[in-house]
Amino acid sequence: MKVAIVVQRYGPSVNGGAELHARYIARRLARYGEVEVLTTCATDYVTWRNELAPGVEQVDGLTVRRFRVKHERDPRVFGRRQQRVFEQRHSIGDELDWLDAEGPTSPALVDHIAKYAGEYRFCLFFSYRYYHAFYGARAAAERAILIPTAERDATIGLSIFQPFFRSVRALMYNSPEERAMIHAVSGNASVPGVVVGVGSDVPTNSQPGRFRQKYNVRGPFGVYVGRIDQNKGCNELFEFFENYLKEPHGKLSLVLIGNSLLPIPKHPRIRHLGFLSDADKFDAMAAADLLFMPSYYESLSMVALEAWALGRPVLANGKCDVLKGQCIRSNAGLYYENSSEFVETLKAIEQNRWLSGTLGRNGRQFFREHYDWPVIERKYLDMFDRLQKETPRGTVDALPGWFERRRQELPAAEEVLSKLPTGPIIQRQSDSRRRA
Amino acid sequence: MPEFNIRSDSVNVEQIMEQIRARIREKRGVDYTEEQIRELAAVKLEKFLDPRGIRSDLLDQFRKAMPAYEPPVLPNYSFEADTLFDSHRGVIRFFRKLFHPFLKLFLFNPNPLIQALNIQARLNTMYAEREATRESSRRAMDQLYYELIHNLVVELTRTGIEVKNLKMRVESLASRLEFNERRARALESAVVYRPSGDDHPPRPQQTPTPPPIQIQQPYTIQTATPTAPTAQAPGGYAGEGPGQRSRRRRRRRGRRGGGPGQPGQMSQGGQVGQVGQAGQSGQAGAATPQRQIEHSVDERAGGSSDSDDLARLEDDGDPSGPGSDSGPDAQ
Repeated sequence: MKVAIVVQRYGPSVNGGAELHARYIARRLARYGEVEVLTTCATDYVTWRNELAPGVEQVDGLTVRRFRVKHERDPRVFGRRQQRVFEQRHSIGDELDWLDAEGPTSPALVDHIAKYAGEYRFCLFFSYRYYHAFYGARAAAERAILIPTAERDATIGLSIFQPFFRSVRALMYNSPEERAMIHAVSGNASVPGVVVGVGSDVPTNSQPGRFRQKYNVRGPFGVYVGRIDQNKGCNELFEFFENYLKEPHGKLSLVLIGNSLLPIPKHPRIRHLGFLSDADKFDAMAAADLLFMPSYYESLSMVALEAWALGRPVLANGKCDVLKGQCIRSNAGLYYENSSEFVETLKAIEQNRWLSGTLGRNGRQFFREHYDWPVIERKYLDMFDRLQKETPRGTVDALPGWFERRRQELPAAEEVLSKLPTGPIIQRQSDSRRRA
Repeated sequence: MPEFNIRSDSVNVEQIMEQIRARIREKRGVDYTEEQIRELAAVKLEKFLDPRGIRSDLLDQFRKAMPAYEPPVLPNYSFEADTLFDSHRGVIRFFRKLFHPFLKLFLFNPNPLIQALNIQARLNTMYAEREATRESSRRAMDQLYYELIHNLVVELTRTGIEVKNLKMRVESLASRLEFNERRARALESAVVYRPSGDDHPPRPQQTPTPPPIQIQQPYTIQTATPTAPTAQAPGGYAGEGPGQRSRRRRRRRGRRGGGPGQPGQMSQGGQVGQVGQAGQSGQAGAATPQRQIEHSVDERAGGSSDSDDLARLEDDGDPSGPGSDSGPDAQ
């Protein structure tokens, strides 16, 4: 069995959730068959500049084929087109122009897929929103398995993606919320799909004491791991944590791990350690009392899963449906929607050792049941088996013609997004309910 | 493969969150979420500002209505020294330059015209640049103003809600305070004046009414019940015999001339008038414990020390009011 992993960027130095996800899956599936990675020469997701050499190379023992990106992203053009399709009535042509401006525009990669698709049993496309996935999956529709990594943002409301979600052979979702959102927007419930997510290589022998000694961290603390960015909700985290610091009985400190794009508040109980190695990161999470997850938009929080794997509770942003749903389903984390809730939930975790311990234990159990590698691998292999037994459906619809593309009749993507159902998915055994 | 489901462990995150939210509500009173506040803000705006066509979602509307600004390309020309004689044909250009001195000599001098047009072209360019800069800065300021107005509206609404909430809390606290004060007064009087069961068995018609009301009672009785003289003997209590009044006065005088007063008791008894004032005089007080007990018994029986004092004032012939009876009587 030969499988292609198609992803926008690939390499050990590439950071990013979907890219890391693709790397993990490629390495794991390589145990069961031949895996080839098809990607671009870009390493920067903002410009898509060709920084790596095109051609074939070996990474982690896997064959990686790199293709050149035709043009870099022009932020001004992209911003203008995005504003148009997100906020105004527009046409399919506008959406295709937006996709072209977003990139990574690599016709060479798409041509390769179209030409050699027959050599692969399945092609796994990561991140629905990018050029390579949209055109690549159309070129190999009979073999296309999509890992959408969709977040609740306006992109999901674009019309070009609705037939796209219906045309692939299968979808591997990251969370039940993501699945529900894609079902609602595209009506693709008949397309085979399963909630899988991704595992993590969490060490079994993490050493919290070593971390405390190395970085001179004393006392109880909560940790945030990830890019320190406004888009990740870090501004709000700082604001809320400063409110918590005003509480006379609170003793927790905040330790930040990751590159910062924001000014860090000056306070003796807020420490920024910068980017750390994986070993130090896991040691820090093991030493922490809890993990903060303030992001508004997540399709799956790998850091939260890692914290749970280490038996640590999570305090998540309740406005993110996925995180809230994960906390409720696992019974392993609390969530907040405003400053008061943040302070109170933090105090609850800090002051009730029993609660903290039970949440951590539940998290470990949740990770073991749903996100351990054997579980993830089995879900992929089961899907491959199922698809091999089924005959592929009809061909994918052709893109509309010149006149059709120019009809200004599509609603703004934000308008479409606002009509989608919200809230976490909570399933109790066979009974599932959607809460608005 | 197991699907996601709720694990029935001893911790239920939803329940914990409910408890936490209930605690927050208890602390804060009414708990509005950001969405609710925004909704309220929108309602207010619609109510008050719609007549003038201003939307509640000012910022969004503004952004939608205002496309991204690109400075317009204004028509302009460039005018250099040889523009007037320029041609795409080299021969013509050559002859024009050749005959330039003849033009100046026989017809007119074109140099001032060239100079003026050159300056005008440069002025046009400068003006266009300045206009573009102004326009872009104006638009940037507009964005800020709209954002400011939007934030002000939200903050104002939030403040309004908080003020309303605080007003309600203040009202609630005021009523509680008043109730507590009344309760405290009632309890104080009950503790101080409660007769011990051994000394004075309670009379059947005794009612535990608060002392301040009892203080006022004799005055109201005396002034408001002239139509019922038969119920009360003049200057005394109802049901008193002719010799009783003088006997009572003698008994009281005898007692006041007795041992030293007890200021503590007196000041407490001051609620009921002269006893406290007697204590304040610093003289030997006549208010012994026994006297106090009597006093309270009188009160509970429907009489009052004040009524007693009134009677005493009448006897002493001193009309200056209750304060004056600390004089000869007390001494």
